[in-house]
Order: sequence, then structure tokens, then C-alpha cells
Amino acid sequence: MSREVLLLIILAIPLVAAAASFTLRLRRFLEFIQVAANAGVLLVTFFLIKEVLAGGAVSALGGNLKLDELSSILTLIIGGLGFLLGVYSIPYLAYETRRGEVTPRDLGLYYGLYHLFILTMLLTVLSNNILIMWVALEATTLASAFLVGFYRHRSSLEGAWKYVLICSAGIAFALFGTILVFANAFQLTGQVEKATLWTEVLKIAAAMDPVILKMAFVFVLIGFGTKAGLVPMHTWLPDAHSEAPSPASALLSGVLLNCGLLLVTRYYALIGQAIGFTFPRTLLLALGLASVVIAAFFILVQKDMKRMLAYSSIENMGIIAFGLGIGGPAGIMAALTQMVNHSVTKALMFGAAGNVVQKFGTRDTEKIKGVLKIAPVTGLLLIAGALSLGGSPPFAIFISKFLTVTVALKEGYLLLTVILLAALAVVFGAMLNFVVRTVFGVPGKEHEKGDLGLAMLVPLVILFVIMLTLGIGIPEFLNQLLERSAEIILGG
Amino acid sequence: MTTLPIVNSLSVLLILTSLSVVESRRLKVSAYFYSAQSLVLISIFLTLAILSEAEQLYLWSVTALVTKAFLVPFILLRVIRTTGVIEEEPPLIRTTWSLLLAAVMVGIAFVLVQPFHLFAVLKYKTALAVSLAHFLLGLHCMITRRNALKQLLGFCLMENGSHLTLAIMAYNVPKLVEIGILTDAVFGVLIMSLIAKKLHDAFGSMDASQLKMLKG
Repeated sequence: MSREVLLLIILAIPLVAAAASFTLRLRRFLEFIQVAANAGVLLVTFFLIKEVLAGGAVSALGGNLKLDELSSILTLIIGGLGFLLGVYSIPYLAYETRRGEVTPRDLGLYYGLYHLFILTMLLTVLSNNILIMWVALEATTLASAFLVGFYRHRSSLEGAWKYVLICSAGIAFALFGTILVFANAFQLTGQVEKATLWTEVLKIAAAMDPVILKMAFVFVLIGFGTKAGLVPMHTWLPDAHSEAPSPASALLSGVLLNCGLLLVTRYYALIGQAIGFTFPRTLLLALGLASVVIAAFFILVQKDMKRMLAYSSIENMGIIAFGLGIGGPAGIMAALTQMVNHSVTKALMFGAAGNVVQKFGTRDTEKIKGVLKIAPVTGLLLIAGALSLGGSPPFAIFISKFLTVTVALKEGYLLLTVILLAALAVVFGAMLNFVVRTVFGVPGKEHEKGDLGLAMLVPLVILFVIMLTLGIGIPEFLNQLLERSAEIILGG
Repeated sequence: MTTLPIVNSLSVLLILTSLSVVESRRLKVSAYFYSAQSLVLISIFLTLAILSEAEQLYLWSVTALVTKAFLVPFILLRVIRTTGVIEEEPPLIRTTWSLLLAAVMVGIAFVLVQPFHLFAVLKYKTALAVSLAHFLLGLHCMITRRNALKQLLGFCLMENGSHLTLAIMAYNVPKLVEIGILTDAVFGVLIMSLIAKKLHDAFGSMDASQLKMLKG
């Protein structure tokens, strides 16, 4: 099969699955499609990445779709977590249906939107057309809005409203930035194609107008930065991510935020290669550090478990932005490694949080005690995930936090690194505190002992294994993708 | 060249309609002003299409007419009818301050387009400033108004601003892109108005300032 066709297939699978789920709302059928489609996407992802590793970027539709090493990393996150959380969704929603929280009719909506959400995220990262990237990222908001408001509680509606309104308004800024780049590139080349394809615009970056590009970057950073949850555009995030059903929260936090940051990275590369990296780096350092510091304190005082995890996502996006801000091959590799590690950890944590919520019927950490005694496997997973989020070895995030800090020190950012480390220490303390208060302790008598079913544990255990593997060292194939991505971003 | 004065004066008219959208207290009136504004926007598209021979803009005009002048106001009016909300809640700032703020935003927009001297679009600088001003006015509407539908209208203003920018600076983008952007816009309004309706059902009003359950 030719390489290009695979790119079309990976988009066609969730599209067909979404259409099927919206029309045929039989539970068994929906669940079958959910597993089959997400497994299909993951399988095609594997094939595609093998192709990329062997023969470089794969493109289709006249270069409008392109899977390079950078988007390979993102596609792997979408495919991998999409599948594992997709499987996890089935028992999660079955339980919610039994409890009467979700009607059987809602199931079709959930699964349909799930596929649509995966489709829009895939399109965001696979698009090489700067305008289609924008369209796709805005579509991710629209596809996930009803996932946020899925429970129809007052609070979920509030979360959904803030989510759609703030993200759509924010991303409108990015459209303006995109148009600036397009118009400037078109003026230079006179060809629509060369002004819309990111790879083509990159080639003429050096000839573009520096003032326009700077302005475009600011607009794009506000726009896509809103979607990525960077401070000060983060206000919607804790509300939206905590109100969605847990598997959807995991996708929003662990996968979608990265898509926003990827587009920031694409413009970071473009502006950097045109006018030098100092300007975009300075902005990202500022926003990144602000995100880490502000989120750290909210994590510390947060009593709602899912809100705590949401704030932790802001912190982690901050670390990624900080890494990009340090720049150079080492800084970029640290940032992208952090992206992968955070995704896996956050998916695991939202999944484990989902288990806890089903077991204890609350997200309030003051009422959750003794998870280890009630649901031992979930308790252990929570400990491991919290340690990873806190930046403790031998788990994934330790490596990328360590990389970020060492690169920052090596590049001479002493003061910024001290501030960063202080904030990370707060996060570590907060995570330990969370584990001690909720996982340990004596549970109330009203909670029934016994862990959740296998179907809710196996996907999380797989995530745990991946998190542990990534904590021991970066696998060779991933390292290869990371190195090439840094080259793409820096130009070479 | 007669394009320039026509486009520029239509742009000024666009600002006036925006102010009317923002300042009208009755939601229905705001929705009608939005529809009127879209008609002005379409006349700009047509002027550019005819006088600058930008043929792609004919298609833009037709799709904008269907979506912005009719479909979006229709969706908004439907929500107003089904919820029975006639007037918006008192805004967070007084009308005088609101207008002053709007004036400052328009000023900022004109300052921001100054560096665009290298562009071929130089002659449409006023229109470009107006498109940016729409952005900021939309933002103003979203932040200072409490009513969810007014906030949604603020988003629509931002959209009209960016579509004017598109028409001036990038009317030659591929059709697929245009379809994508318009689809996003219509679905965005549809989804937001559905949520606004549900907010009304759950909270008994569309006052977004009471959405304070989620904090900290």
C-alpha cells in the first residue's frame, strides 16, 4: 500500500466511526465501533511511524497533509491514548448508565463525539496547510464542547460555556496571525500554494517582513496558547477539564493541549528561522514560567481532585513552553519529551481519578480516604502517577523535568531555573500531600471494598508500564523522532 | 480608483453597526444590528470583488449572505424566542465608559496597523484597522456584558472582523479553507447558542456573571 493512502485512511477511520455512532445507537454496536476504530487508528499510526522512521515525512493531497517527525510524536500520543482511553470509556460509561447519570441515548452522542474529537485532533497535527491547521484546532473545541457539558449539571454547563467562549475567542486571534503570515508569504511568492503550506512558507521565511512576523507570532501565541492553557489565557481550563467525564478529561488534558502547543511550535519554528529565535523564546520563557508558578500554588490548595489535575496540566504545559523558551536542540528535545511524558502520566491520573470518583462518589479530596484499602490497584496507580507528576524517579516526568532544568542551567538561566525549581518543589509537596491524604488513611465504612473491573484497570496498567518505561530512558525510536523534530524546528 | 473611498466609508459604517450591537439592551435589536452589519460586510466584499477584480469574493459574498445575514441571526432569534429573554442584564460598566472603552479600542486598532507599510494592502489600511477594531470591540462585548447571548454576539463581531481581514488580505485562499472557516463559524454559533439555551434552562437566566460555581 502506498504511503500516502495511509494518511487518508487514518482520517477516514474516525470519520466513518463518528457517522456510524451518531446514526446507529445500539450499545453493543457503539462499543464495538469504539474499540475497532481506535485500534484501527493506532495500527495505522504504527505503520505510518515505521514509514517515517525509514524514509522521512509522508505527505498526501498535494502536501496539504504531512506527517513529519514532529507530527509523528503527536500522532502517536493521539493514537495511543485515544485507544487506551477509548477502551477505558466503555466500562466507565456503562457504570454511569447503570447509575442513571447517563441515558442510553447519550451513549451514541458520547462515542460519536469521541471519534469526531480524535478526527479533529489528527487533522490539526497532520495538516501542513497553515489555514487548515487553524480550522482543525477550532473544530477540536466544537467537537469537545458537548463532552465537557456531557453531564448537563449546572457546573458542567458552566464549564462548557467558558470553554467554548474563551477558546473560540482566543483562537480568533490566531486566525489573524495566520492571515498575516499567509498575506506576507503570498506577496513574496505570488502563489497560493506556497503561501499556505507550512513547509513552503518555511523556505521563504528569511525573506519575510520581520515586523509582520513578530506581530503574527504574538497573535498566534495568544490564540493557540489559549487552547494550550498557558497563563494568563488559562482561566477556562480547570473548569472544562474537571467537568468532563474522566476519559474525556484525560483526552482534553493529555492530548488536546499538546495540539495547541504543536501549532505554537510550528510558528515558533517559522518566526525563529526568519528573524532569529530570541523573540519567540523570550515570550515562551515568560509565559511558561508564569504558568508553572501560578499553577503550582493552585495545585497546592486544590481540594477537588480533578481540578488539581487540571491545574497540573497548566503547570506541565508551562514546563514545555519553558523548554521551548530555552531553545536549541537540547531545550526543544526536553520540551517534546515532557510533552510525551506528561500525556501518558495525565491520562493515567485522570483514569485513576475516574475510578476513585466511581468508588467514592466524590472528587473532594477531604472526603476521599484510604483508596489503597478500598481499591488497591487504583491506589497504587495513583501513587505512581502522583509521583510522576511531582517529578520523582523512576517515572516519566522526572526525566523531562530533569532535562529541562539541566539545559536551562547549562544555558545560563540561573535565576529563572531557581524560580522554576522552587515552583516544582511546591508541586512535589502538593503531590505527596495528595497521596498521603487520599491514598493512605482509613476509609469510611460506607465504601464497599474491591477494585474496579479489569476493563477499567488494564488500560491504566498499560499506561503505568509505558510511564515506567519512559522513566527509565527514552526509547531509541522516540529519540530518533525527537532529534529530527528539533532539526525541523531549528531549520537544518 | 473608486474602490478605496467606498471600502473605507463602508468600514466606518461597520464600526457604527458594531457599536449598536454592543450597546443595544434589547437582544432582538442586537441580533438585527448584527444582521445589518453582515450586509455591510457583504457590500465590502462585493465592492472589492467588482472593483479589484477579485472574483473569489463573489463566492464569499454569497456564503456570507446565507450564513451571516440570515442563518446566524436566525439561530440567535430562535434562542431569544424560546427562552423569552427580551433584555440583557445591566452590563458591568456604564454606557459612557463602555463607549469610551470602545473608542480606545478603535484607536488601538489604528495604531496597530501602522507597521503594515510593506503590504500591497496599504491602500486598505482603514479597512484593516476596522477589522482589528472589530476584534477588540467583540472582546469588549464579551468581557463587559453579562448576558450569554451578548457574549456570543461579541464572538460574532470578532468573527466578522477576521473575515474582513481575510477578504482584504487573503481573499485568494483555497475554497476548501473558506468552507472550513465558515463551517467552524456556523457550528460555533450553533453550539454556543445551544449551551446558552441550556444555561437558561438550568439557571433561570442567561446571566453569565452568575456562573461562579467553579472557582479556585
